[in-house]
Amino acid sequence: MKFIDPARDPWRTITGEDGPMVTLTPAPHSLLTLAQWHSVRSTWPAGMPVGVQFPNDADIEELAEDLPRLALVALHFPKWVDGRAYSQARLLRARYRFRGEVRATGEVLVDMMPLLERTGVDAVALRADQSVEAAERALHFFPGHYQADVHEKRPLFKRPPGQETAPVEFNQAGSAI
Amino acid sequence: MYQYTPFDTQFVKQRAAQFRDQLQRNLAGTLGDDEFRALRLQNGWYIQRHAPMARIAVPYGELSSDQLRMLAHIAREFDRGYAHFTTRQNCQFNWIPLPKAADVMDLLASVSMHGIQTSGNCIRNITSDCFAGVAADEIVDPRPYCEILRQWSTLIPEFAFLPRKFKIAVSGAKEDRAAIAWHDIGLQLLKNESGEVGFKVLVGGGMGRTPVIGTVINEFLPWQQILVYLEAIVRVYNRYGRRDNMYKARIKILVKAEGQRFLDDVAEEFRRILELDEGGREQIIPQAELDRVAAHFVTPAGVKPIEGSRLEVPADAPAAFQRWLERNVHAHQLAGYRSVTLSLKRTGQAPGDATSTQMELAAGLADRYSQGELRVSHDQNLVLPWVRESDLYALWQAARGASFATPNIGLLTDMIACPGGDFCALANARSIPIAAAITERFDDIDELYDIGDIDLHISGCINSCGHHHSGHIGILGVDKDGSEWYQVTLGGLDGSAISGHQSTPGKVIGPSFAADEVPDVIEAVLDTYRTQRSSAAERFIDTVTRIGLDPFKAAANAQRRSTAKA
Repeated sequence: MKFIDPARDPWRTITGEDGPMVTLTPAPHSLLTLAQWHSVRSTWPAGMPVGVQFPNDADIEELAEDLPRLALVALHFPKWVDGRAYSQARLLRARYRFRGEVRATGEVLVDMMPLLERTGVDAVALRADQSVEAAERALHFFPGHYQADVHEKRPLFKRPPGQETAPVEFNQAGSAI
Repeated sequence: MYQYTPFDTQFVKQRAAQFRDQLQRNLAGTLGDDEFRALRLQNGWYIQRHAPMARIAVPYGELSSDQLRMLAHIAREFDRGYAHFTTRQNCQFNWIPLPKAADVMDLLASVSMHGIQTSGNCIRNITSDCFAGVAADEIVDPRPYCEILRQWSTLIPEFAFLPRKFKIAVSGAKEDRAAIAWHDIGLQLLKNESGEVGFKVLVGGGMGRTPVIGTVINEFLPWQQILVYLEAIVRVYNRYGRRDNMYKARIKILVKAEGQRFLDDVAEEFRRILELDEGGREQIIPQAELDRVAAHFVTPAGVKPIEGSRLEVPADAPAAFQRWLERNVHAHQLAGYRSVTLSLKRTGQAPGDATSTQMELAAGLADRYSQGELRVSHDQNLVLPWVRESDLYALWQAARGASFATPNIGLLTDMIACPGGDFCALANARSIPIAAAITERFDDIDELYDIGDIDLHISGCINSCGHHHSGHIGILGVDKDGSEWYQVTLGGLDGSAISGHQSTPGKVIGPSFAADEVPDVIEAVLDTYRTQRSSAAERFIDTVTRIGLDPFKAAANAQRRSTAKA
């Protein structure tokens, strides 16, 4: 999981005084709204890195054709308990085989980390008050899960003996148990 | 019973560790109460009127005697010496201080228990028939499928924050004892003409403000495909279910609003998962996995059909034993065996409640008479599934000594009731005093027998935890100007045999009644039934269906005292 440091993030949204600009000049690492992308998609220079901010109430299918041209899809959590973007992330990875960055934005909290990682998000812009250290820790409580996810594509019942869990470090349960 | 594998054991321990980490951050002030709320809910911890309520999962209602002893221990050491069994086959504590929550989760983990997904807007604990695996009318034992669904739904990341809670019930018998049509998804196991096993799938049932009976979305889904099919349904719901209004957020609202389009969306999503998704087909359940899980649910060693066994009643057995045989003892798959309900409905205790001592006594009965196994029933009783016919008399005597032998199963006082306003922060009115008043009013067993089979369901608020919509008589607590009132419905059906295998919400018989009028109203309604029934054999619900609500309304309205003036 990549934790985005806003100061070092090369990606820039294109906003004017009255919100997202309608006319824009292509520049590398532009992170566009869906409307902006629609206005420039036919003319965007091949090879120039571009990303799209995708709202959580739109159909991710709409982006399917454009995915090979996108380096980043930024999904949005307007509230952290609104789980629609998990389905979008999962579809981007499992159905559309998107290999670029899938970034979680909005109200992104420490305890969402395992869900984000398992549905295919690989970069997060944490809410400003969240601790990266706690978020890292939240990623390592479970050495394995029952279901398949975008990383382990087999459910537990399809994994051979000895491969039920991933060979990773995880936070040990307290000695009290 | 399902025995945890090392993977399962490690998993619940890590879940307890994760919860301890979250609790510590909350107590340290780095995880705000609002944000901690959604996390603790998904581990079963509510904040209630007096203290946090802890809801412990009893997957599909199966419980070992050791697990029950641990619940008794927790009740004694951390609570006030009792616990409550719910319509969703779970177990609730009411008085455990939140700082002790992680210690309780550790203790539960030591007996393969947890509170995972017993609350929150996620896929809840799967419920089933309390006679699964022993019922005489069973088509397919639902437990292996329930366990596979439990594993599938446990911490499934895409569906951890749905628009609203999501409940799945599974039945494998001819009689539906799990009220499947009232669930977000109801699954009925069937065999087709070739003997192959599959599911009839219902979607979009639910209670609450808008009672809806589930729609059949698939008449026969081969069992191997069930996880793919559930993923398709829940994904369509996660994407398109309403999130702007929590009262319109359940899947039933989406199914009603979209109609055929919802059914088409699910069919299309199902097809896409199988045809397009990386790992999509991996979710088809192999026979070997079903066999592996089913091996946990075999008949216990030492239990064999006892041919020629006859249920012998000692010549000097009291009438009470005969009644107990009639009401609390149920037909079994195996010759010579019966399942037995330990009634948690008796004067002086709230429906579904048991003290630590009672839980330990029940665990002892399970060890002695039922292979160390118990069930929690949807009707809030405990069940012993493996009792030899030859042990029934001894069991009855022991159960009587432990207050479990009230011969009232299926009768009026075997009512369903939520904890209500005495405990629950959501409730508009109290349920327990109403249940107590009715239990006291109808304490004559001959009268209960004369009234016969009937479902009385009481909810303290419209969230319907006491399933008032599906009661032949339903009582719903409402709040008007800060005081408690009770709406009475008649004619609800939960899908069981005495409900004619039908499901439907009851109809309101008039404006709400005052609390002290309710027992009189119930009595008047039942007197009307006894006067109007075509014969002693006609059940209450059948009389209601035959003669309609008017005679009952008139009798009920005649009981108004305080509400007459209003």
